[in-house]
Amino acid sequence: MVSLDAGELTTRELNRKIKDLAEKGDAEIVITNPAAKHNVAVGVRNKCSISIEGSVGYYAASQLDGPEITIDGNAGWALGENLMSGKISLSRSAGASVAASMRGGEIFIGGSSGARAGIGMKGGTLIVGGDSGFLTGFMMQKGRIIVCGDVGDAAGDSMYEGTIYVGGEVGSLGADAMFDEITEDELIGLWNELEQKGITEKPKFRKIISEKKLYHYDTLERLERTLI
Amino acid sequence: MCGIAGIMYKESRLTGLAPIGDDLVKMLETMVHRGHDSAGVTISGESVDSDLLIRIWADESAPAAETIERAKETLAINGGAIVTAEARDSYLRLTANYEGDVPQLADALLKTPGVVLHSIGENSEVIKDVGTPMVIDETHEIRKISGTHGVGHVRMATESAVDISHAHPFWAYPFTDVTVVHNGQLTNYHGMKREYESRGHHFQTHNDSELIAVYLADKLSEGAELEEALRESMDDLDGTFTYLVSTKDGMGYAKDRWAAKPLVLMETDSVVALASEEVALRSVFTEELVRTEPQEQEVMTWSA
Repeated sequence: MVSLDAGELTTRELNRKIKDLAEKGDAEIVITNPAAKHNVAVGVRNKCSISIEGSVGYYAASQLDGPEITIDGNAGWALGENLMSGKISLSRSAGASVAASMRGGEIFIGGSSGARAGIGMKGGTLIVGGDSGFLTGFMMQKGRIIVCGDVGDAAGDSMYEGTIYVGGEVGSLGADAMFDEITEDELIGLWNELEQKGITEKPKFRKIISEKKLYHYDTLERLERTLI
Repeated sequence: MCGIAGIMYKESRLTGLAPIGDDLVKMLETMVHRGHDSAGVTISGESVDSDLLIRIWADESAPAAETIERAKETLAINGGAIVTAEARDSYLRLTANYEGDVPQLADALLKTPGVVLHSIGENSEVIKDVGTPMVIDETHEIRKISGTHGVGHVRMATESAVDISHAHPFWAYPFTDVTVVHNGQLTNYHGMKREYESRGHHFQTHNDSELIAVYLADKLSEGAELEEALRESMDDLDGTFTYLVSTKDGMGYAKDRWAAKPLVLMETDSVVALASEEVALRSVFTEELVRTEPQEQEVMTWSA
């Protein structure tokens, strides 16, 4: 295990050291004194374990492919942006745009998340233990968002694909979003998944999907045409 | 992009004034990446042994010393008695006894050649300049000023000029002690400005954020409570905004319907602090914080 004191390093130095350790394989890294700095632990593309002891600022743990990161504190805007694979677990609350453009892996928020959680999500799973703000799942294209508490207004606005599960109240549905029936198996599966995160309540989740009335893709992209 | 910050020690009026200037400079300095152009603070709840605290900047149209003397003369002609006068570069900080009409005094000062009026308060002052918070503190010694609460701003201009007058905070002319710092852009600025001007309100700059100060002043002068005025601004102001307002004994925030501009909040029984980023809160409070993030269309106010 290697401990890095974020208070003694510039963000660039800190991220360089994390990358070097991760590239050597099976690294266990502990980061102390992050003090809500921005851009902590970004761009790591190897499997490794990173434990951050304190709050982080904007874009923390973004552009990742492989690591498992635990953060004991809060996070600013855009935690876990563009996660390709790996896991991020945050003990408290995240700012706006958590999991923006996420493609794979899992992000768990112990507290609540701000506006636009899962904006442009293209895969993977975002779990929010508390509430999630305005425009949750805005323009999401794939993947799952599981919110145990309430979501704000315009949930699932302009979503193309993917699913949003909400355990509490839904402020309002966004454009082209609709409620869908949730099956018993689906519900039990969600409860089991949450139990592994230490969430033992069993909310009666509601399911939001795209109504696809704004969904007009009759013309394929140039690259797609060559595949048919 | 801009950075905003605010802090209030809720019981400092009883327990002793708090280091508001020091706290605001620290908070703003950690957010200097959000705006290098200019910076400023309002420090409220200062101990003032006179009726008014007036902050004036002498623009470049004449030697500063001449403008400063003219400002003092204007104050005297209008019935004001200067208690203290502290000139620093092209800035003048006056404390004065004055029993007349404040708007009348404000108008007289504004008509004085070279005078730019940054604030008139009973217990607050606006200090703003071009440069970063640390640079500004070297000139104005903000860190030495105590009070009960205050707000501050670092600016990255997206419209209007980069100069001293277009820096935040904006004073809600001619309403004493009401000042605003704003992160965002107002898209119905020109229409609302014309409407207010037709009703006799005065704008000192071309900065859209000044509209918020004038808007709140107008609401408060009609008898609205601060929270009510903030809530009504949600419907009346168009665009993106998170703004903080400081009054003689209060502070509040409002966040637009899109939740487009950040704000985090930390509150205990004795203190409340707000900032665009948590890193700013951590510059004042070193321990890990339980903080919240206000969401869309939220307003909140506190009293010192």
